[in-house]
Amino acid sequence: MADESDPDEDVSSDASASPEAQLPPPEVLELDPVYEALGHPRRRYLCYTLLEDAEWSLTDLATKIAAWEHDVPEHAVTRDQRQEVYISLYHAHIPKLADEGVITFDEATERIETAEHAEQVLTALEGMGASLDVNQEVHARSDMNE
Amino acid sequence: MSKRSDDGSVGGDDFSSADTHWSQAAQRYYEPGGTGELTTAIVYAIADAQEVSPNELRGRPLYESVDVPAIEDAFFRPDGRGDSHHGVGSVEFRYTEYLVKVRSDGWVQVYEPTEPDRP
Repeated sequence: MADESDPDEDVSSDASASPEAQLPPPEVLELDPVYEALGHPRRRYLCYTLLEDAEWSLTDLATKIAAWEHDVPEHAVTRDQRQEVYISLYHAHIPKLADEGVITFDEATERIETAEHAEQVLTALEGMGASLDVNQEVHARSDMNE
Repeated sequence: MSKRSDDGSVGGDDFSSADTHWSQAAQRYYEPGGTGELTTAIVYAIADAQEVSPNELRGRPLYESVDVPAIEDAFFRPDGRGDSHHGVGSVEFRYTEYLVKVRSDGWVQVYEPTEPDRP
């Protein structure tokens, strides 16, 4: 099992060759990242936290989400509770949001930062979410109390 | 042609070789609707098989190997009416050297390759 340095193939699909025919306007097509990003409660929560702060560590995020799900203060989150969220973020939700261009994730530092599609996702979230996920939003936007 | 990147392509020989024998190394039960996600149950089962902490399973997110939400939809997603339209069966995929099987009864089983018994 050689340690292959994967040169991260950059598939830049520039749809410049598209016919100018009846394609919907770009801003409509670009709703896809919004729906994909917000299609899971943990990803919605993560996006709410990005409204609060544009940069997070994976561990802090996992702690915050676990606290919200179990309805306890952050300092009362157990190791197992945090780990369950951490694993699902690392193996599912972070790569998904990175795929959608909402965040970038630095594997070495475990820092999460907003990326090019973050703004439209967060704008949509603010518009649609307040009445549906008000507790989630309030909790996510509260400060870490450690 | 001699070198192919392992970008998820499952070579027929690699996967279905009659010489590959599998033995179960670990299993976890996934409970739909609980706080734990299917992704986590799979990662925990693989970590059990490797005898490492789940946090040590780094460098290759499960997301890149298999579409877990699709399995969730097929087997476990409640349809909101109390009806069960769930598929019955199992899905198998490879993660590094392991073969992972997700069964519709909730068991996630991890198999490792073993030397075939030769008489």
